[in-house]
Amino acid sequence: MGEIFRRIRYLINRRRFDAELESDMEFHREMAARAGRSNFGNTLRMREQAREAWGWTWLDRLAQDLSYAARTLAHSPGFTVTAVLVLAIGIGVNVAAFSLFNMVALEPLPVRDPDSLVRLQRRSPEIISGQMPYATAMFYRDHAKTLSGVLTMMGARLSIEDDLEPVKTNFVSANFFRELGATAAYGRLLVAERDEAANAPPVVVLGHEFWQRRFGADPDIVGKVIHLNRRPVTVVGVEPFGFPSLDGQGAEVWLPMTQQPYFFEGSKVLTDVSNGSVRVWGRLARGATASQAEQELLGLTNELRKQYPKDIWKDEYIRSDPGGHLHVMEPEMYKVTEMVGVLTLLILAVTCANLGGLQLARGVAREREMGIRLGLGASAARIFRQLLTESMVLALIGSAAGLLLAWGTLKIVLTKTASPVWLSATPDWRVLAFVVAMALMATLLFGFAPALQIARQRQRKTLARQLLVGAQIAASCVLLIVASLLVRAAQHALYTNPGFGYERVVSIDPGLGQHGYTPAAAGEYLGQMQSRLEALPGVTVVSLVKLAPLGHSIAREDTEINGRKASIYPNWVDERYFQAMEIPVLMGRSFLPKEKNAVVVSEALARRQWPGENPLGKKYGENTVVGVAGNAHVNAMNDGDSLEAYYSAQPADMPDMVVLVKSTGAPDGLTPIAKSIVESLNPKLFPEISLLRSGFRKDMEQVELVASTVTLIGLVAVALAGVGILGLVSFSVSQRLKEIAIRMALGATKVQVLAAVLRQFAWPVALGMAAGAGIAAAASGVLRIALYGVSNLDPASYAAAILVLMAIVGLAALLPARRALRMDLAKTLHYD
Amino acid sequence: MLILRVLQSGSLHGYALAQRIHILSSEVLAVEEGLLYPTLQKMLVKGWVTAEWGISETNRKVRFYRLTPEGRKHLKAELSDYDRVTQAIQDILRTA
Repeated sequence: MGEIFRRIRYLINRRRFDAELESDMEFHREMAARAGRSNFGNTLRMREQAREAWGWTWLDRLAQDLSYAARTLAHSPGFTVTAVLVLAIGIGVNVAAFSLFNMVALEPLPVRDPDSLVRLQRRSPEIISGQMPYATAMFYRDHAKTLSGVLTMMGARLSIEDDLEPVKTNFVSANFFRELGATAAYGRLLVAERDEAANAPPVVVLGHEFWQRRFGADPDIVGKVIHLNRRPVTVVGVEPFGFPSLDGQGAEVWLPMTQQPYFFEGSKVLTDVSNGSVRVWGRLARGATASQAEQELLGLTNELRKQYPKDIWKDEYIRSDPGGHLHVMEPEMYKVTEMVGVLTLLILAVTCANLGGLQLARGVAREREMGIRLGLGASAARIFRQLLTESMVLALIGSAAGLLLAWGTLKIVLTKTASPVWLSATPDWRVLAFVVAMALMATLLFGFAPALQIARQRQRKTLARQLLVGAQIAASCVLLIVASLLVRAAQHALYTNPGFGYERVVSIDPGLGQHGYTPAAAGEYLGQMQSRLEALPGVTVVSLVKLAPLGHSIAREDTEINGRKASIYPNWVDERYFQAMEIPVLMGRSFLPKEKNAVVVSEALARRQWPGENPLGKKYGENTVVGVAGNAHVNAMNDGDSLEAYYSAQPADMPDMVVLVKSTGAPDGLTPIAKSIVESLNPKLFPEISLLRSGFRKDMEQVELVASTVTLIGLVAVALAGVGILGLVSFSVSQRLKEIAIRMALGATKVQVLAAVLRQFAWPVALGMAAGAGIAAAASGVLRIALYGVSNLDPASYAAAILVLMAIVGLAALLPARRALRMDLAKTLHYD
Repeated sequence: MLILRVLQSGSLHGYALAQRIHILSSEVLAVEEGLLYPTLQKMLVKGWVTAEWGISETNRKVRFYRLTPEGRKHLKAELSDYDRVTQAIQDILRTA
């Protein structure tokens, strides 16, 4: 222990200690001289050895290396700037991707004790559901000892005063705000003591941004009464600015869950056990773990099944995921993140291969310097260490630049996507650690091999350079192919016929089920609405559908047909649906009104289920096939292989149906008219009316965004590869200038000279492209989710990518080579 | 070990130390300066000796090296080790 202190004391007082030693030795020399002996020996060497005893030589050497590296880099600014830029891009992309991942999945939400929050969802081996009935959530709350609190949330839209546009509402349990540790900006937030009772006066908390927008940030709004769904309700407070909600971001008003029936008359949401309605979170009790909670909940679920045998699924269990992050990461989502991670690492690989090549080239130029140093007594290990330090300095500067780049990009992305206020682009310790790790990895990747080669003075071998070129080409190839596939998919989605008409259709959801309508009453209501709507001028078809196209909910069955996996999207429709959505009925017919046990299958499903046979009349489950419709990926636009099955709507389905209205002209004018019709039939209803067109546009925007981002990345990678090849070829040319001059003087044609120079790069490029294409083909299966209607082995995309790559590579190689051909022969031959 | 032993009887400066060893060994052992000073540094690191400023016989300021308690402990340990080894060697030489 004391030794370390002494060593540190030495480090601090180095000069004094050294001076003292020197004076000792001076004295010794004097005395020895007096005694007649004058061979004191090599003072310098002794001082060095003495200094070594203190054990700080490595620090000295490091300092030396660092300053030398800085000087060398400063002497060749061209190389340094290029290298830093290249590194900044390569590392920056990785840091940006990791920052996003960090924000979404790693960084906890700024709420109270986020690590003990878990998201609870119902699961069984066959069914997945993100919501559970409110009544069962309360059952768990009352009986679970491993949970110290349960939060529930349900989204809704309510009308406010007489506005045309509804407000986004979150119904939440009364303990919601307190559990998250939020304090009101004005007034108070919901509290369990006052707002949970059955007869509590109706209260509402305003969203902060909504309060600013609609009420002009008026602090006196607290205590005033406003009308939601035409019901009076008192404003008790305003949520704090930038409130980090667990979900349901952007809610404009918050209402207590227990008051939902007050706003939706006849609603059975609070007592119904058969329909899932709320999203549920739990807070783990002190000392309880998530798996303990899951165990206990399983026991409670089995209890519940005894009381409600029909509503609890077989083998149902409650699954918990960490709930304290922006996004609930379920294991399946990690696959996507892995894919993104791999892509960004590819860019890093290209960058490092690039730099590695440049380093090697520089190594050749520094042959003399190395020779001198070796001659002066430096060991190969010392030189290796020094070169590695140089690479590290470069990597650190590049990483800092990359971090800056990533931070800037992230800031722009956050502002453009109007994300929640509390998300910030500033890096936290995880991101910083990642940057350092990246810097180290980059150093190893691009600095290690060249340093090794140069230190051992064996850089004549072009194999290393060729390998680097090959690696760069392969990585760029993969990136380009991926980008090209996504671009094709985007094109396909945007310009090809999705199989249905959305331009002139309006969807109206009167929410009958939410208001407790019985099937008979719903059927009556819908019939009246239909006749009213059909009477409007310009309306051609009115039809009913359960899962609205391009809407909030979809249903999917994953099964196997003849041994192959299939995803079937079922829907319940009336007989006019196909006409309304312009989906062609290719064989057979549509339904008869309220036909029982009839099903219309999509063409693809028919082909899969009964290949080569006539599907009409065949049995499908309990139903008979009466018709075959064209493929229309209405509810799953990104799944080119989706199969649809349309069941004939029955009276029991009526409360959940949505009305579709198709018009001849622009559908915009229909919205207010439809609203008034709905309200005149029953003033207590608040329909959700939307144009199919807008839903489609939103989906498309996402597709475009993804495609353009990946294309950008791919082009960046290719540009990097191009720059790398340019550098290497021009370097190679400059090395062999004399040889080329001699060849030309001896009569070689331009083509022969070009061949001689470029031949060493031919096979790495070819191999790289082959490897890249192979890897892309093998790995692109993961991309299927994003490839709208385009196969992941689409030959056109592959061909396009390879052609672009070859063009860039060719250009990069030919440019410097051409300069070689135009040189002044005489001057070159005489130059030495 | 020899340096430590010599210092046991009192603190000395570098030159005197070398001289002492040379004389006490009847001029058989001569400590090279190249060995002496680095060794003294190592001992300073380990804390077996400390250096203090004093005046030499020639009226010059110079550092005197003194044995520390840890140094004494280490010296005792080294001496006993040496004795053991020497005894062992002698046993073999006598009886083998």
